[in-house]
Amino acid sequence: MAKELIRMKNIKKYYGKVQALNGVDLTVNESEIVGLLGDNGAGKSTLIKVLSGAIPVTSGEIYVRGKEIKMNSTTDAINAGIETIYQDSALVTELSIARNLFLGREPEIGSGLFKRMDIEKMNEVASELLREVGISKNIPPSTPIAALSGGERQAVAIARAMHFESDLIILDEPTNNLGVAETRGVLNFVRGARKSGHSCIFIAHNIHHVFQVVDRIIVMRRGSVVVDDIDPKNSTVEAVERVITGMDETV
Amino acid sequence: MKNQSLFRRLLARPEFGPLVLLLVEIIVFTAINPRFLSPMNISNTLTFTVELGLIALAMTLLMTAGEFDLSVGSVFGFTPVLMWTLFNAEVLPLEFAFITAIFIGAMIGLVNGLFVTLLKIPSFLVTLGMLLVVRGTALFMTSGFPQRTWGAKGNWLTEFLVGDFYIGSFRVYASLFWFVFAALVLWFILNKSKAGNWIQASGGNANAARARGVNVNKTKIWLFMLCSSMAALAGVISSIRTSAANPNSGTGYELEVIAMVVIGGTVLTGGRGTIIGTVLGVLILRIMRNGIVLVGVPGLAYSIFIGSIILGMMALHSWLERRHNSGT
Ligand SMILES: Nc1ncnc2c1ncn2[C@@H]1O[C@H](COP(=O)(O)OP(=O)(O)OP(=O)(O)O)[C@@H](O)[C@H]1O
Ligand SMILES: [Mg+2]
Repeated sequence: MAKELIRMKNIKKYYGKVQALNGVDLTVNESEIVGLLGDNGAGKSTLIKVLSGAIPVTSGEIYVRGKEIKMNSTTDAINAGIETIYQDSALVTELSIARNLFLGREPEIGSGLFKRMDIEKMNEVASELLREVGISKNIPPSTPIAALSGGERQAVAIARAMHFESDLIILDEPTNNLGVAETRGVLNFVRGARKSGHSCIFIAHNIHHVFQVVDRIIVMRRGSVVVDDIDPKNSTVEAVERVITGMDETV
Repeated sequence: MKNQSLFRRLLARPEFGPLVLLLVEIIVFTAINPRFLSPMNISNTLTFTVELGLIALAMTLLMTAGEFDLSVGSVFGFTPVLMWTLFNAEVLPLEFAFITAIFIGAMIGLVNGLFVTLLKIPSFLVTLGMLLVVRGTALFMTSGFPQRTWGAKGNWLTEFLVGDFYIGSFRVYASLFWFVFAALVLWFILNKSKAGNWIQASGGNANAARARGVNVNKTKIWLFMLCSSMAALAGVISSIRTSAANPNSGTGYELEVIAMVVIGGTVLTGGRGTIIGTVLGVLILRIMRNGIVLVGVPGLAYSIFIGSIILGMMALHSWLERRHNSGT
């Protein structure tokens, strides 16, 4: 039996009077890649924002390795080992790759008044990580994010999540607006993440992409999870599509 | 090849434009009037430079974090008035009056910061309101009359802050050292320290910074406090040097300071800032003010030049930016 990493229990979220989540239960196991699917407005982003501490939950509980955690802020989530990667907002485009990788956790050298960031070490580790996540071109770690492509930015964000040993990496539509090669890159990173023992929640509208990397598919519709145990090996893209649109109740 | 890439790297730096402008300015003024480079003129220029310069340095960090402060000019006027009133009325000895003035300056910054971060009101509106409140307080407190400052002649504190001495034929005020010191410290903070990374991230993408656990609000509040305290210190220094604490002094300084900072290459919308650029920007505007008088342009025309410099520099920065982004 796989060990449980995250359990969300009876999660409800209201935006004013709008109910975006009505009692969602969801679990993610260790080293498991979960695909979260659903039509526009199904509540996927809302659910992962709750899990990553970006928005307050209305009611419900979140357990990490069996221990209840109150996600009052993104810091709480990061401390609990949950890292979220959004398409654009995760990086500071003005800052270099290295400075972004270590933002909020800058290594320091020196002491007292002369304490400063260990920029050398930051650049060194950054170069290493860039190679690891497969940015093949020789991009120096001092390059500002503004000069990177969308896929390279994803790679930087993923590298950061992997470096800081996040247990769960959440990717909300990471392949949006990406070209063929860059999309392949992102999918490779996700596979790599599992290999090194990380779990992922992968949200995408392209079901083919999801099928290529995930172990299990969860489908949401109008604020609820309708199916949470689709095995992509024993299912088809068409069958999952029918569940998403509500034509079928299950595959 | 190597030289070319070095030149390109130089060209890509935001400080490049301001540096060229400064050199051009010095060459033109010296060519027209060689007295421009006389020791006496240089020390005069530097004297005025540091007071606005201190504020500009702090403003650079604040603007890099994505905010700015319009109340610095009124704090510059108000805090020395407060200090000298306390001292003249024999409420406090000079040292404590000084500490009180700087402390009140910092508190003004704290209020600015709290309004901006907690109530999420744009800093333009918050600090505009604060400008009026502080200026009004200074005028009301003094009924509009300057406070005398000569009662403290020879006090160690005034000597420490603005005492003057000669190096050869250069007359140097101690405040020049405070400016250089502040520039070094703030350069270190912005570029080398963890806090500097947070400042840039707060201005560049506050949400991303927050998501990494950076306390954006706290960072901004500290910078508002730094900015106001610097304005208070600059005001006190100025009042000692000119032997007058005028409740109206500092009027319009906020715009000149912001102009110095953006001319230097710091971005008004935050994310990127340069202390070296600000030092250049400070010198550019101060030398311009001094130079045009020296070469015989009526001082009243000063604003025309400043405005043109701002517009020209902004055009240059945006051109360089686009060139850079298009990869050439
Ligand atoms: N800030 C908000 N205020 C009010 N309602 C919101 C807010 N954010 C989302 N909603 C509503 O909550 C519901 C779920 O939205 P959510 O963004 O979670 O959907 P999603 O599954 O991520 O959709 P998409 O695939 O389009 O990204 C929608 O009906 C949406 O209109
Ligand atoms: Mg969404």
